[in-house]
Amino acid sequence: MATQEKVDVVIVGAGASGSVYAAVLAKAGKKVVVMDNGPDWQTSDLISSDIWGRRVKPAGAPFILEGKHPVSMGAQGGWGVGGAALHYFANFPRLLPNDFRIKSEHNRAHDWPISYDDVAPFYDKVAQEIGVSGDAGAEELWRPKGQPYPMPPMKTFRNGRVWLKGFEANGIRMVPAAVGMNSIEFKGRAACIYDGWCHVGCPIGALANPLVTFLADARKTGGEVRAWSTVTRVLTDASGNKVTGVEYYDRNHEKQVQPANVVVLAAWAAQNPRLLLNSATDKHDKGLANRNGLVGKYIMTHFASGTNAMFDEDVENHMGTLGAQYMSYERYGKTAHKGAFGSTFIVAGSSIKVSGLGGLANTRLDLFGPELHAFMKRAVKNLSRMNAFGEELPKIENRLELASEKDEFGMPLGRIIHSYDENDAALWNANFEEGLRIAKATNAKDVWQARAVQPTIHLMGGTIMGTGAANSVVNSFGQTHEIANLYCAGPGIFATGGASNPTYTIFALSMRGAEHLAANWSTVAG
Amino acid sequence: MDAMERRVFLKGAGMGMLAFTVGGANVLMTPGQARAQGVPFRLLKAHEAETIEALGETLVPGAQRAGVAHFVDQQVSVPPGEALLEARQLNVRPPFINFYRAAIGAVDKAAEARSGRRFAALSAPEQRDFVDLMRQNKIDGWQGPAGGFVYLILRSDAVDVVYGTMEGYESLGVPYMPHIAPEKRW
Repeated sequence: MATQEKVDVVIVGAGASGSVYAAVLAKAGKKVVVMDNGPDWQTSDLISSDIWGRRVKPAGAPFILEGKHPVSMGAQGGWGVGGAALHYFANFPRLLPNDFRIKSEHNRAHDWPISYDDVAPFYDKVAQEIGVSGDAGAEELWRPKGQPYPMPPMKTFRNGRVWLKGFEANGIRMVPAAVGMNSIEFKGRAACIYDGWCHVGCPIGALANPLVTFLADARKTGGEVRAWSTVTRVLTDASGNKVTGVEYYDRNHEKQVQPANVVVLAAWAAQNPRLLLNSATDKHDKGLANRNGLVGKYIMTHFASGTNAMFDEDVENHMGTLGAQYMSYERYGKTAHKGAFGSTFIVAGSSIKVSGLGGLANTRLDLFGPELHAFMKRAVKNLSRMNAFGEELPKIENRLELASEKDEFGMPLGRIIHSYDENDAALWNANFEEGLRIAKATNAKDVWQARAVQPTIHLMGGTIMGTGAANSVVNSFGQTHEIANLYCAGPGIFATGGASNPTYTIFALSMRGAEHLAANWSTVAG
Repeated sequence: MDAMERRVFLKGAGMGMLAFTVGGANVLMTPGQARAQGVPFRLLKAHEAETIEALGETLVPGAQRAGVAHFVDQQVSVPPGEALLEARQLNVRPPFINFYRAAIGAVDKAAEARSGRRFAALSAPEQRDFVDLMRQNKIDGWQGPAGGFVYLILRSDAVDVVYGTMEGYESLGVPYMPHIAPEKRW
């Protein structure tokens, strides 16, 4: 075992949240090392192919997936530098004010320890930093005023426009989708060319993935990204009051120690609690930051209610982006649907490729043989779909715990247990019913939905934020209540999940946490 | 990715081919070419490959000729991190050969129990009926991964080799429009 030279901060995970911490802290003059367990992907590795695009996703992630609705680890996760943000769709809706005070307003779930106003400046700052296209003014139908986005909305295509009549007929106002993509050239990064390969990684830098944004900034200011480095434990001093670095295995499976003044866990909502639990000591016998037993609790996901429609016209569904063209918060109120609680976020107009999980062939999973081929010939021209994303409220029994089985490094696998409840099912179904009404008010000839299995999209919770150790693992900056120089970042710290795609909020919260850490460095790291 | 690794990766991905073993040497070709040239299977036994081809052809016409069995065989033989199988995204635990062996075994065992013959020996209508029941988890006495999941994985493999390639897009009349093109038809 070798011990590396001490650094100011070691960040575990080179995805959305870790990249922000790396950029902010490196810029503040800190010596930064970012570790990631996979390859050091470059944009030139991002081949435009559903088949080749699977390489940036985990193969056999070290988790056992249980419950009635197991989380979708393989499809949602990332592997390697860039993390899941290397293949995300870059939809950039934000959480709204009502997300931060569900307990106060509805006596359900819990409040965040901060309000929308605390996060809003960082949404604006991230937009200016990495580029967001959209119409902020139009969004102010539903949210407080903020800064305009730095780029105009993206182009629209027929696969999005065909839905507008249906939304209007149902009283749902749609506005240009906010996306982390370039509608025009931005800071030397190319404008989008609407080829629809976002989900396998954008090699031209038009989509704001970490390689071309925060990680590039971090590297320019001296930050080191150390690929093929699998962190297995966070180390503490004899008192148990401070972390001292991390233990990890390098590419040759040699054990190493990286000492650091501050440790930021940014390894996603599943791996962060797994690391905390695996770092137990005599001073922290249940794992770090876990005296209250809340590490790993409140795992949350989103669920989509997708509506497919076949039109007579060629809707150009191969064109555009995997993100949305139009979005709406019209059903974002927690009680927007009678008999179901929670927010809904609506989108329409994404490109659809032929194969892959979200591809045309999977919109009719019941078809095979000649019937599938006939369907495909029609679908490549005429199919479009809309989606409504629903909010799952946090439940303490949806959790991550350590299993007895171990991985190749001797670290216990994580067991993630996740199930939806009746309310989640009710919201999912309410969104399906509304999707049908919308589709039937368009010119669609055939309309169908896949309702067999309630999907699990995105992953949040596990190290939630709150007002103190009685109700949470971290404070609003991601700093653990128990150990001042140990941070968690990413969707794991969300107190509740809202219904909006999480990455914009991940960026914003990470920037808020990183700036706070930089501003209070001597107190935290000293 | 370091420089050496990237060269190896791009050699395959950039040219749009997979590395098949011919006469002890690695040769880059498409699975369809590997099948046409009779490239020996690395891990699959002959009867396993036969079952995959028959299943693939039932699921997506053209999958047999496109080399679905060679695709699966090559992919289960590489390290999991390099595998391009849809199984990777659907939480199948590596090594992936274990899943395919269990799936093929379940299919053939069920076919023999129902008809006295392995799946590949069934008539085309019998194969269709079998697959239709399998996808709905309606085959009595099924032993192995859930039939519906086997259907999903094998159907995805067949869709990949028939429709997911540049040739596949061309056959459907839809522009491929790559940012970074697979140089051949993959």
